[in-house]
Amino acid sequence: MTCRPEYVKECKCPEEVLNCIREALGDSLLDIELRERMDGAPRRVLYRDIWVRFEREAYLPLVDRLRTLDFLHFHVMSGNDDGDFVTLNLHCSLFREAGEGHRLGINLIVPSPKNDLSIPSLNSRIPGTEYSEREMREMLGIHFEGLPNTDLLFLPENWDEEIKPWRRDETGPSPEHVRELS
Amino acid sequence: MAAGAHKTYRIPIGPVHVGLKEPVTTWLDVDGERIVKATVRPGAIHRGIEWMARERNPIQVIYLAERICGICSFTHIIAFVRAVEDAAKIEVPIRAQYIRSLVLELERVHSHILWAGVACYTFGYDSAFNLGMLLREKVMDVLEALTGNRVNYGVGTVGGVRRDLTPNAAAAVREMIGFYRREFQTFLDVVTEDPIAKARMRNVGVLSTENAVAYCALGPTARGSGLRVDLRYSSPYEAYGDLGVKPLVPQDYTGEVFGDVFDRFFVRVMEVVQSLDLLEKIVDGIPEGPIAWEPKLPKALAYLKAADGTGLGMIEGPRGDDTHVVKLTKGEENLTWWKVRAPTYSNAVSWPLMFMNQEIADAPLIINSIDPCISCMERILVSDKKNGRSEIMTRAQIMEKSREKTRGLMGS
Repeated sequence: MTCRPEYVKECKCPEEVLNCIREALGDSLLDIELRERMDGAPRRVLYRDIWVRFEREAYLPLVDRLRTLDFLHFHVMSGNDDGDFVTLNLHCSLFREAGEGHRLGINLIVPSPKNDLSIPSLNSRIPGTEYSEREMREMLGIHFEGLPNTDLLFLPENWDEEIKPWRRDETGPSPEHVRELS
Repeated sequence: MAAGAHKTYRIPIGPVHVGLKEPVTTWLDVDGERIVKATVRPGAIHRGIEWMARERNPIQVIYLAERICGICSFTHIIAFVRAVEDAAKIEVPIRAQYIRSLVLELERVHSHILWAGVACYTFGYDSAFNLGMLLREKVMDVLEALTGNRVNYGVGTVGGVRRDLTPNAAAAVREMIGFYRREFQTFLDVVTEDPIAKARMRNVGVLSTENAVAYCALGPTARGSGLRVDLRYSSPYEAYGDLGVKPLVPQDYTGEVFGDVFDRFFVRVMEVVQSLDLLEKIVDGIPEGPIAWEPKLPKALAYLKAADGTGLGMIEGPRGDDTHVVKLTKGEENLTWWKVRAPTYSNAVSWPLMFMNQEIADAPLIINSIDPCISCMERILVSDKKNGRSEIMTRAQIMEKSREKTRGLMGS
């Protein structure tokens, strides 16, 4: 699927985007929340964030569906070792150029089991994801299918790639890897 | 570094200059003087700050976050505390939000003037550099008067701020606004109206509008490519919803977008002028009231220990939007995890595009043009693997190369 790198000038309302996400996810939807961010004087809603947790199989279909609304601006990926699975969070925006207060934060939460820690790369759709996918690969051990550049990003060249610094299990750093400075 | 026969050399720039921060390596493949490919390799100063935060509570992490960057330290802590406030559902008093916006704009003024001055230095316009540094001292004095420090102000906290805006500090801000309105135009004119300065920056390091979207460029780098993107406008936070910020783009002033170093320069210097208007509105409109949601630290920590959730904080910093994400777990004193995404992390992805078909003499300017948190040009090793030759170029030599190009344009 191709998508012209261009931002729309008119936004859709958050409820419409929520419905679009629910429709794209179907039974894969685990949890969804619309957060209203209030600031200023008088106190009022100035922008909104959507947080959605879903099954990994729906990752690409949902991203492609969101990209029909606007170019999905990618901010960063975060993640954590949550025991039997690793959670990947994708922090994005829609309607970034659509007017005052119209940016809508989109946060996609995707758990992946540790025995099959792989997810499709978004690099061909959103080139700006490259650093994050490489970072999540080296820090948490997530395999991004189709990521063209899998060189280390932040870890040194002589790093033992079996060690995943952000993991909390046996693949994470052990005390001998930690140098206390004080 | 002779040109010819399409022989390609690989030039590593960086990674470390000990006097500065956040070094990065860039390998430039060159054919003669022309760059045909660029590869960026960060990681030389990855400190594992996010990992260190796992053993600290949210209040302790504020001081860790403040040390991510010496220039936009306040940006980082406000992005962090907003993420904590989002996760823990904390409402920040209005006066505190105005004070946060005030310091954020002061930080933008000093960061942009610093960058603009250093850009001039890079291509040999030392008088403009000195003028920039002279002007920047005023805002540094105001920050010191307001917070006690020139950098790492230590005034932000979860749920508010730690220092109020006193009448004397407000007067110092007003006096500073008057000073810059009288004096800053000179700096703007001597650079943007100078034909040599313009020639060194125009059509250099171009990032097209389409590529700025595709590669998720941020801040002045994105606005310099014509995108009307600014979190203070598209998702206002703190006091910005009351201030009416509009994204500043070159086409509104010059009628067209080049997406080059000049446009990025222009956006930043005009944003200094914009910040003065915002600062005036803040000082005029700051409401009375408390400056902290919970002034008693043990009580605040107990509340944070009981909180559970993931929070997101995004700030339009001087270099673009700064994103922090945190996870708090009920019953845990320390952060469960923390992710920091400084703007350079995003803007550096589009660096290789800016280098394409540019001259080596322009490399320092292009690297500087996204205002990266790095200072990497300690030395250059020019290697010719085929003939087994190598030649060391010092940072001074490559800077001299950049300046030579300027002198060439001046006809001297």
